[in-house]
Amino acid sequence: MASVQERLDELVGEFADLDAREKLELLVDFANGLPPLSPEYQARKTVEDRRVHECQTPVFLWMESADGSARLVAEVAPEAPTVKGFVSILAEAINGRPAADVATISDDILDRMGLADVLGILRTRGLRAIVARVKRGFAEQASG
Amino acid sequence: MPDYVHPEVLVSTEWVAEHLSDPQVRIVESDEDRALYTQGHIPGAVEIDWAVDLQCPVVRDYIDRAAFEKLCAERGITPDTTVVFYGDKNNWWACYAFWVFKLYGHKDCRVMNGGRKRWELDGRAWSNERVSYPHTHYTAQEQDGSIRALRDEVLKHTKAGKQLLDVRSPEEYRGERMHMPDYPNEGAVRGGHIPGAQNVPWPLNCHDDGTFKSAKDLEKLYIKELKMKRRSPTIAYCRIGERSSLTWFVLTYLLGFGNVKNYDGSWLEWGNAVRVPIAKGAEPGGIVAGSAAPAMHA
Repeated sequence: MASVQERLDELVGEFADLDAREKLELLVDFANGLPPLSPEYQARKTVEDRRVHECQTPVFLWMESADGSARLVAEVAPEAPTVKGFVSILAEAINGRPAADVATISDDILDRMGLADVLGILRTRGLRAIVARVKRGFAEQASG
Repeated sequence: MPDYVHPEVLVSTEWVAEHLSDPQVRIVESDEDRALYTQGHIPGAVEIDWAVDLQCPVVRDYIDRAAFEKLCAERGITPDTTVVFYGDKNNWWACYAFWVFKLYGHKDCRVMNGGRKRWELDGRAWSNERVSYPHTHYTAQEQDGSIRALRDEVLKHTKAGKQLLDVRSPEEYRGERMHMPDYPNEGAVRGGHIPGAQNVPWPLNCHDDGTFKSAKDLEKLYIKELKMKRRSPTIAYCRIGERSSLTWFVLTYLLGFGNVKNYDGSWLEWGNAVRVPIAKGAEPGGIVAGSAAPAMHA
């Protein structure tokens, strides 16, 4: 099975040869593919502090692992499809793979997607905060 | 009940729905999140992105006149086209694009009241089809300096005690934070506001459904409560000049202020500039002559 980074590289590779419009369309496809929260997580959302406060859009993340296998559960407001698409890509790369592996995600993942050209540099900062939060969350899982 | 001073600049979602195939009309979407347009836009609408399309990629400035002409030509806009702007977040970015179009002298610009939110609430259809129009030839005007303020002018303006509006959040105004709540800090080294500026956070211009407040409510806010005068020169600013372009729109067109400029350098320039005066706290404050720049030893 491919590692988290290898799977992420594959997904990021899908963006490589696309023009700006196609990149956005692919991002929207990923956004549409993020499943809605289950009733269990809907209930937890109201009592747990899972919001990523650095991110302007409402984003709620759960970094969970069972038997060393990672699972990223997320909810992103529908008015922010860029963020939703990006989180969906992270979940696709992470889910079912070793939690300890998540820490190896490279920090330049956004640069390699070429999204800064499409979105403008300012708007990629919130996404960087999400990567940092996800890596930290799984690192805490691994050490705890 | 008083009406807006220039009501013709606002159109309803119904008006837009009736003009979807009007060749005289071009509908332009401008959002904070570009993927929104890709996901679904008003049928036939083209996209203009504030960062990628309107900003010069090298100098911190807007695109130049030639680039603006190319932008319009590629979207099938002529100098006589009625351009209707709409977008997410209370039409924040739509007003920004509107302002840039006015900067280059486009005559007939309008805003769809309520933007994406109102279109959605009205149950109108979205389209994700790609849109293109035959290219036009567009000739723009030179930049209109009467709606744009640069730093030196703002410095003179504040020293003269003229009308100045800070449209950021109260926390940013007081100097407690250097960016919007929940937004990342995008690089100002000092917090506070330009001395003399009154704080009117931009969302106060709008209802929850994204439409603008009534002329009566806006008059109450700016003229009765803040004692602002329509004829006095006014400058509005925020962090990079986007939120303040919405306030510029409200003052200029809805309330009929005669001389309003947007300071697009805004806090990201002022809060980083050397030796410009800054006020902290909830009060506008003012400048004591000579206090801004201490004398230099020869």
